[in-house]
Amino acid sequence: MTDLLRRLVRTPQGAIGLLLLLVLAAVCLFGPWLAPQDPEKIDFLGRFRPAGAENWFGADQLGRDVLSRLLVGARSTIPMALAATLLGTVIGSVVGTASAYLGGRWDEAIMRTIDAVMAVPGLLLALLLVSTLGNGATNAMVAIAVAFAPGMARVTRSVALNVRNQDYVKAAIVRGERGSWIVFREMLPNVMAPVVIETTIRVSFAVMLFATLSFLGLGAQPPASEWGLMVADARQYVHQAPWILIAPSIAIAVTAIAFNLLGDGLRDAMNPRNER
Amino acid sequence: MTTPVLSIRNYTLDYLTAGGPVRVLQDIALDIAPGEVLGLVGESGSGKSSLAWAIMRHLPKNAREVSGDIRLGDTDLRALPGRDLTRVRGRRIGMVFQDPSTSLNPTLPVGRQITETLVITRGLSQAEAWTEALALLGHVELRNPEALMKRYPHEISGGEKQRILIATAFGCRPELIVFDEPTTALDVITGARILELFTRLRAETGVAALYISHDLALVSRVADRVAVMKHGKLVEEAPADRIFRAPQHPETQILVDAVPRPERRLVHDQPGERVLLAAQDISVRYARRRLFRPAPPPATQAVGFNVRAGEILGVVGESGSGKSSIARALTGLADFSGSIRFDGRPIAAGRAMDRQYRRAVQIVFQHPDSSLNPRQKVGEILARPLRLFGGNVSDVGRLLEQVRLPASFADRWPHQLSGGQKQRVAIARAFAAKPSLVICDEITAPLDVSVQASIIELLLTLRAETGTAYLFITHDLNLIRQIAHRIAVMRGGELVDLLPIDAIDAEHVHPYTRDLIAASPTPVG
Repeated sequence: MTDLLRRLVRTPQGAIGLLLLLVLAAVCLFGPWLAPQDPEKIDFLGRFRPAGAENWFGADQLGRDVLSRLLVGARSTIPMALAATLLGTVIGSVVGTASAYLGGRWDEAIMRTIDAVMAVPGLLLALLLVSTLGNGATNAMVAIAVAFAPGMARVTRSVALNVRNQDYVKAAIVRGERGSWIVFREMLPNVMAPVVIETTIRVSFAVMLFATLSFLGLGAQPPASEWGLMVADARQYVHQAPWILIAPSIAIAVTAIAFNLLGDGLRDAMNPRNER
Repeated sequence: MTTPVLSIRNYTLDYLTAGGPVRVLQDIALDIAPGEVLGLVGESGSGKSSLAWAIMRHLPKNAREVSGDIRLGDTDLRALPGRDLTRVRGRRIGMVFQDPSTSLNPTLPVGRQITETLVITRGLSQAEAWTEALALLGHVELRNPEALMKRYPHEISGGEKQRILIATAFGCRPELIVFDEPTTALDVITGARILELFTRLRAETGVAALYISHDLALVSRVADRVAVMKHGKLVEEAPADRIFRAPQHPETQILVDAVPRPERRLVHDQPGERVLLAAQDISVRYARRRLFRPAPPPATQAVGFNVRAGEILGVVGESGSGKSSIARALTGLADFSGSIRFDGRPIAAGRAMDRQYRRAVQIVFQHPDSSLNPRQKVGEILARPLRLFGGNVSDVGRLLEQVRLPASFADRWPHQLSGGQKQRVAIARAFAAKPSLVICDEITAPLDVSVQASIIELLLTLRAETGTAYLFITHDLNLIRQIAHRIAVMRGGELVDLLPIDAIDAEHVHPYTRDLIAASPTPVG
C-alpha cells in the first residue's frame, strides 16, 4: 500500500491530484472553522458586494459571504458524491463479478437487465428515482448510486471474465468451494485495480450529477450551501454579480479535476508493467 | 578463414533496475560462419533472449550496454543509427518468435502481411510480391496457398502460422535468421514437422542461423555447433554431436542429464490390482445447444479407461486431442455423459460431485503463473484446502517442506516465486487434501528442462511417500515413457491406444502412436 502511494506521488498527475484532494479533505473537515463569516448571516447593505477586503470572493444576493458558503458547503457536496460513488461501486462490482462467475443463462439474464437499465441516461434515471423517493440529499445520493451501478457492473464483469478463466478459480471450483467464497475471496480482490480507477473517475461525475440534481431543486434544499444549489441560486444574477456563479462553478471543476488526476495517477501506479 | 556472418566480441549488458544495475550478459564472444547454425541453450533467465534482442538492436529502455561490439558481416550494428537499423532488420537479419499466435497482426489477412514485408525488404511491386508469396507458401508445404493468403490469422492453426512466419523470414533472403524457441508453443508432431522444414530450407538457402532453445536434445539435432549459457555467461561451446556425448562443463552436464530419455526408467515398481477410478464412455461437450444452432461436436467421444491404486497413467496426444477435457470432466469443471466409479462408488457429473471425491481427486494445472491467486500469500493458499478437508492449518510449514520449499515461504506472495517454485506450491496444495489420485495437466510444459526434471523427481518421491496414483497428461512422450506404467494415446477426442509401457514399441500399436514416437526428438548420441 505504501509502495503504491510512493509510485502514485512519483507521477505528476498523481501528485497534483493527491495534493488537491488533501486540500479538499481539509476543507470538508475544518470548513466551518476556516470560514471567515457565518455562511447564513444576511447583510442587506452588502448585497452583490464584489470581491474585496470584506468578502474575499464577494457576497451574494442576500449579502452572504460566498467564500464562507463554499467552505461550509464542501461538507454537503464532496462526501455525498464520494458516498454515492462508493455505494454504486460496491453494488456494481459485486453484481459484475457474480455475473461473470455464474456464467451461462444467469450471466445473460443479469447483463441484459443491466443493459436495459443503462439504456436510460444516468441523469434521467436519477431524476426518476428522486421523484419517486422524494426530494433530499440522501435520496439523491441513493439515486446516483443506482444510476452508477450498471456501468460499474459492466466494467467489472469484463475484467472478471478473464479472472474466471484463471486456474486458481478453477482450483477453487474443483475443491468444492461455495460460490460466495469464490466471488468474494478469489475473484473480487483480482478485479479491484481497474474498479478503483473507474471509481475515482466517476466521483467527479457524481459531483456534477449531484450539483445538477441540486440545481434542479431535487437534491439539497435551500438555505444549504451545497455547491450545485449555489450555482442554481446564482443563475438569475449572472449579469449583476457573476462571481456568485463563478466561485462555486470553479470549486466543482477543481474537485472533478482532482479526482480525474488521481484516477490517471492510479492507473499508471497500479500498472505492474511500469514497475521498474 | 572467411568472415563470419555474425561476430560478437566481449559483449556485456546490464539492466538498470530499482535495486541498481543487474548484469545480464557478461563477456559474450560468438561467431557464426556463413551457412552455419549455432544453437544457444540455457535455462530461462540465462540471458538467451536478451542476446537475441541485442543482435536485433531492440533492447528495453533500461538496458545499458557496457562494452563489446556486435558485427553483422562488416557492419558494426552498435554504431548504426535508427534509420539504418530498419534497413538491417528483416533485410539482413530475420527473426522467428516463440509464439506464432501473437506474431501476426490479427486484423490483417495473412497475405497482406507477407507481401508488405516483401515489398519493404526486397523492393518488389505488389504483383511481384503476391506471386513471390504464393511461391514461398507453396515451398513450406502449405496446402492451397491462394486461399490461405486471404484468411485472417485466427482462421489458421498455430503450425500453419509458424510456417508462414518461417516462409516470410526466409523469403526476405537475410544473411542471418534468429529463431527464438520456434517450436516450444507447438505440440510434438507439429514441432517435428517445423524442424524438418527448417532443416530443408536451411540446406537449400545456406542461410546462417542462431537457434535459441532450452531443450538441448532438440538443439543438438538442428545445430552445427551448440553454445551453453548460464547466468549471462557462455560456459561451453562445442560441435553438436560432441556436446551431448562428452559435456565438459558441469552446467552442460546438468542440462544433458535433465533431458528425458525413454530408455532410462525412473519408476520400477508395479501398481496394485485394485481399480481406483473407472471411467466409462466419458464424452465431454462444451457449449450447450442453442435455439437456432445445432450442438457443437463433443470434445471427446466415449472414452473409457481405469486407473489403479498407485498407478501412473500417462495420457499423450497433440493439442486439441481432448486430453485436457478428460481432466476437466474428472474434476467436475466440465459436464460429461458416461459414468465414473471411484473406489467402487458411482460419482455424479459436474458440480454435484461429493466432497469425499473432491478430496480424493486433486488437480495440478499447467500454468504456474495463473494457478495461484496473486492476492493471497502462499500460507493462505495452502491453509484453505487444509481447512476445507479437515486438516490442521498449522501443517502449512510441513506441506512446504514436503515439496522441498522452506517453511518461511508461507509469508511470500506468488509473484515473489519462480515458475518452478510456484508449481511446487500448486503440488503442495493438491497434496494438502491427502488425495489418492492427482491429475497433472501438462504441469511441466512451461518449465525449463532442468526444472522439469526436479519436478518429476518430486512427484515420484511424493508418490513413494503417499502411494498416490497419477493421471499424467503431457505431450512429451520421452518424459512419460520414463515414468508411466501405462500410456493412453488420444487423437481428435478419441482414445486410439491404451498400452502398458513395455508394449509401446510393439508391432500392433496404432499407426498414430508410431508417428508420435517418431516425432519425439531423441537426443543425439
